[in-house]
Amino acid sequence: MIDQLKKKAQLLRYGSSVAVLLMGGAVLSVAHADPAVPSGPLVSTEWLAQNLNNKNVRVIEVSVNPGQYERSHIPGALNFSWHKDLNDTVRRDIVSKENFEKLLSQAGVADNTTVVLYGDNNNWFAAWAGWVFDVYGVQDVKLLDGGRKKWEAEKRPLDNRQPNYAVSNYQVTKVNTNLRASLSDAVAVAQGKSQAQLVDIRSADEFSGKIFAPAGVPELSIRAGHIPTAVNVPWGEAVNPDGTFKSAEDLKKVYAAVGVDGSRPVITYCRIGERSSHTWFALSKILGYEVRNYDGSWTEYGNAVGVPVNNPAGTVFGAT
Amino acid sequence: MTLSHSFAVLLAMLALASSFALSSLEDGSTLSFAWVVGLAFGLLMQRSRFCFYCHTRDWVLHREHRGVLAILLALAVGIAGYTVVLGSWVQQPTPAYLPPDIFIGPVSWVLVLAGLAFGAGMVISGSCISAHWYRLAEGSRASPFALIGTAIGFMAGYASWNRLYTEAIVDAPVVWLPAHLGYGGAILAQFGVLALLAAWVWSRRKKVDELLSTSSPATLKAWWRALWQERWPAWVGGLGVGLICFLVVIRMRPLGVTASLGHVAREGGEALGVVPTRLLGLDVLAGCATIPQDAWLNPHALILYGLVIGALVGGLGSGQFKWSWPSWRDAARGLTGGVLLGWGAMVGLGCSIGTLLSGISAGALSGWVFGVSMLLAVVVGVKLQRRMQG
Repeated sequence: MIDQLKKKAQLLRYGSSVAVLLMGGAVLSVAHADPAVPSGPLVSTEWLAQNLNNKNVRVIEVSVNPGQYERSHIPGALNFSWHKDLNDTVRRDIVSKENFEKLLSQAGVADNTTVVLYGDNNNWFAAWAGWVFDVYGVQDVKLLDGGRKKWEAEKRPLDNRQPNYAVSNYQVTKVNTNLRASLSDAVAVAQGKSQAQLVDIRSADEFSGKIFAPAGVPELSIRAGHIPTAVNVPWGEAVNPDGTFKSAEDLKKVYAAVGVDGSRPVITYCRIGERSSHTWFALSKILGYEVRNYDGSWTEYGNAVGVPVNNPAGTVFGAT
Repeated sequence: MTLSHSFAVLLAMLALASSFALSSLEDGSTLSFAWVVGLAFGLLMQRSRFCFYCHTRDWVLHREHRGVLAILLALAVGIAGYTVVLGSWVQQPTPAYLPPDIFIGPVSWVLVLAGLAFGAGMVISGSCISAHWYRLAEGSRASPFALIGTAIGFMAGYASWNRLYTEAIVDAPVVWLPAHLGYGGAILAQFGVLALLAAWVWSRRKKVDELLSTSSPATLKAWWRALWQERWPAWVGGLGVGLICFLVVIRMRPLGVTASLGHVAREGGEALGVVPTRLLGLDVLAGCATIPQDAWLNPHALILYGLVIGALVGGLGSGQFKWSWPSWRDAARGLTGGVLLGWGAMVGLGCSIGTLLSGISAGALSGWVFGVSMLLAVVVGVKLQRRMQG
């Protein structure tokens, strides 16, 4: 079965119109010539537009605004909710392995499926989903470069129909715990006991301790500032005005300017760990550095008792 | 063509032209959609006199059935349309997965109180919030005061919110009927209730229909004149409101007319120090009155601007725009009724459009509870008012 699927994938890559007879039943599938799946971590809007009917591509939207996917989405895309599907709903953690397997099985993801993630807000939560997919070792996960914003700006098609795909039986074979940093990892860096470099991707005002959280977002930490030794590179430094990631050379320059050049392992963090996934994606998937995302981020660190904190602005919690 | 009719045509052309300007803004297609829908909504309400309060009052006082049937029709169309839309959003309805940003609110005694206050506010001020908006465009004397009163009522609602939330709302069940009965069960149950109500109203109507029947206009010119000068049949209003109610949800958050006023009242109340800066759990509850907004240029504000301008087109076109100085009585009536409307709409998370119409259409139990409480207050209020007036 797997050999046949591999063969099918090959045919899809090279073939003109081909018909493949699957084992066990007379399932006839006709595919058009599709440009090969790009080898990098990103796919362009053009490529996706040409591959909307590619049965080996599963498009998944992970947006932060409720109702966005339901009103319109890329045709054929499925919807994963970041707070209900990809997070544990009781404890603060990513979705459990069992629930992740269930979710991917319902989405009909198989081992040879290319998953393309996209979302609103510059792919913040889509990148975070990409990190969760990588933690659970999903083979072929790509991000739609520019996300929803670019797709819409290019006036590409959207629809509001919910697709149904045949359920698969997805199994997680290994969990990459080395993509995730914990509070103790962050403290070790702050205390000089670890070689890792911290990249704080929040705004300059959050980094300096002037504010506890961006405007319109609840102040969930009771200390302001940043983890000592961290460098501040706001996430937006990694993108072009159209929302696409900067080129690898440009990204290298941006991070090298603050001493992050991949020679040492990196830990990214933000407020709740989602924007930092965006930078994690740039550093790890595009530049190939060794990067862990600290998903506890400032809402864990800034509430932890007895850990070292840098607060240049000197803002005092609760003081009027 | 009279002067005011010419103004109406000019205004309608300007209004439609501005939809092109809106479409060039960020998220312009939704803004332009909201504006045009608002215009249609305002014109429709003005021309058909669609009004939850007036229709109910006419039934209670005069057994005039067509308005009440129009409301029931609006709900039936809304329910059918929402079932189609939500059926595609959430294919297997369960209580764990409510459709996003649909007005399905918590059901507690606070909601009953909200409906009662809202109903009383309608009786005192002369209509509900949406009808005050369109009457503003007719030069109504009480409506400006009612809307000011509503803003004050909103502030009172926010001021009492944290206490009500911890006392009752936090534990209150949020019931989405399709999650318990399935889409088919929910539509059958709700249609059943509406059909029973309609049959009851029909059987007790005052039989004057024959006298009011009019012949259809013979020429295009006569038809055009009738369109502006004669009141559109009540069922046209009901059908149109029901259609707008579910068409809106395909492109933007559900129909509601209190979001902008609520936002202004919240900011004003915070600045005056009467509204707490933290309103417990409010921004995560789904309701028209709770949509967090930070600008004047958002789809809900545009629906409201459109409603007022659309109604103004209708008012000018039909020569129903009349301005006169309000009396002290108008002011007092508008303000007190408005405060009740505002308080009820805030703690009930929306008004007769957001919580009742959009809620019931979506299959929210909260819509029914708010609706029944409101109806009760209106029936009792109208009867009391009649007795007091002799």
